[in-house]
Amino acid sequence: MSDYLLENQELDVEVLREAIQEEYAEVAAKPQKGFHFHTGRPLVRLLGYADEWLENIPESSIESFAGTGNPFSLGELRPGERVLDVGCGAGMDSLIAANKIGPEGRVIGVDMTPSMLQKARRAAKETGLTNVEFREGYAEELPVADGWVDVVISNGVLNLMPDKSAALEEMSRVLKPGGRLQIGDILVQKAVPVSAKRKIELWTG
Amino acid sequence: MAAGFVGFEITWRKDVFSDAPQAGSAEKFGTLGINFRARKAANEEVWAAAMAALSCEAPTQWSAEALAEKP
Repeated sequence: MSDYLLENQELDVEVLREAIQEEYAEVAAKPQKGFHFHTGRPLVRLLGYADEWLENIPESSIESFAGTGNPFSLGELRPGERVLDVGCGAGMDSLIAANKIGPEGRVIGVDMTPSMLQKARRAAKETGLTNVEFREGYAEELPVADGWVDVVISNGVLNLMPDKSAALEEMSRVLKPGGRLQIGDILVQKAVPVSAKRKIELWTG
Repeated sequence: MAAGFVGFEITWRKDVFSDAPQAGSAEKFGTLGINFRARKAANEEVWAAAMAALSCEAPTQWSAEALAEKP
């Protein structure tokens, strides 16, 4: 990945998106490669996921998991609910949600990386779950109708968006009044200088 | 809150980057994994009440000096 230090310029959103897609296409294709973050089963244990949540989740979905938190620890998903997984990756969280909400519920997973979506769709087919689908799109322009969603989950994704306000406004748009956000993400404890925010490689590394 | 969410709460934080296979910038910035939740206001009254109750005792911006530090 090349360095792009954009002095006296705003961050190029398209360049950033390409860099993120490139990184996560690698997580999809070569999950054992080793990244600046943990992935797969070691990460699932670190984040406190219950073993039973993973019982029928294909290994192909688990191995490319790259979240930073545990959305399911923030509240129970109820049978029949509609769930949106923003930045679903290879679908692990979406499939866990699909198991929790049962056949009367519905899960939509949205991601911008085609190879991750391919993995997610293949994994869903393998489980036989029919209450989950995956759509390509951006968090800032969610391909979901207004007020359709009971719960938005997302895991390790919001921090990758240059326009977090736009992403949160989209999450609000698709939620029903009173709907819930249950998000895994990151925070920093030291100031990030403006110059660092323009370095593309610091967004993914 | 500008997006219409109320009841924001961070419920958990943890170092989830230590011992990752490759070194990254997480240690430099003290990056932690977190879980947070919030709700979309059920109606205008709920949102207005949350806005009215809003108080902020923590700094909302980093100091200019901190932002000017070289990475």
